[in-house]
Amino acid sequence: MHELGVANDILGIALSEAERNAAKKVTSIRLRVGVMRAVEPENLSFLFGHLARGTPAEGAQLEIVEEPVRIECAACGISEARSFTFACPRCNGPDISVTGGDSLSILSLDVDT
Amino acid sequence: MEAGGNARIEVERSILESADEAATAIRALLSGQEIYALNLISSPGSGKTTLIEALLARFDGKGGIAVVEGDIETEIDAERIRKHGVQVRQINTRSSCHIQPSRLLSVLREMDLSKTRLLLVENVGNLVCPAEVPLGEDARVVLLSVTEGDEKPLKYPLVFRTSDLLVITKTDLLPYVMFDVDRVRRAARAANPAVEIFEVSATTGAGMSALLDRIEAMRAAKKK
Repeated sequence: MHELGVANDILGIALSEAERNAAKKVTSIRLRVGVMRAVEPENLSFLFGHLARGTPAEGAQLEIVEEPVRIECAACGISEARSFTFACPRCNGPDISVTGGDSLSILSLDVDT
Repeated sequence: MEAGGNARIEVERSILESADEAATAIRALLSGQEIYALNLISSPGSGKTTLIEALLARFDGKGGIAVVEGDIETEIDAERIRKHGVQVRQINTRSSCHIQPSRLLSVLREMDLSKTRLLLVENVGNLVCPAEVPLGEDARVVLLSVTEGDEKPLKYPLVFRTSDLLVITKTDLLPYVMFDVDRVRRAARAANPAVEIFEVSATTGAGMSALLDRIEAMRAAKKK
């Protein structure tokens, strides 16, 4: 249920940005979500929709841009993956470092003015 | 912006910014008083409270330990710790599956930490959400009991990637369960090459003094 806290924070930021920009209604919210964050999009949208009822963000769509993890493999160089891994997804080499994939941010809002 | 139209507002703000700010405030509060803080994370029933009790027994009489217990409901853990005569607060998180740094910050502000040198924060029992939310701790400790299975670092990589210590608990039960300690060690090191790994049994006492020594050394190293 950690999506509940995330949904609440998204709503708070969206409403404050909308108010600051004198927008009447938020229609869409673009998010960047790292694959390491274990955020389930359907659950997040459901909870957001529930929390946003009666606010200017009611009915806003969440558009999620997935951020992969970055893999540096000693054998074959840099690649990306959609989940954490203990071996290189390209060459199966074990000597890798996995970074990134931990973003959780709002990129932009589409609003009615 | 013109009324009656639509527009895109570029935001580029971290959703965790308020949590990050609170964690920074906690770090400042603790550093100002030379308090070393551990964030204890594990599945329910892996031995977080038992480790806290072992630390309390080890440093009994010296004082200087304060405890914050996180649970969705009940004061059971706080009552268990209170029997040891130390300062303890219970945070009930209700619908939230982890301790929010803002909540911890307000609890710490209510506590008398003037004699505290070691703060133990027991997070809500699960391996997912607590891993995502730093509490301003000096070190993060993840506990994994051998009854949970040796695939946990593969299933919950974030907590293993972000923890400084991995404590494998209940090792006295190893003869009765399918748990490959070397497999866990390999997977944990792949997720975090710097992780320090301890194997302990609170029942037999095996490995406990090495772990407690290490925690004491980490705490002492922070003291200016």
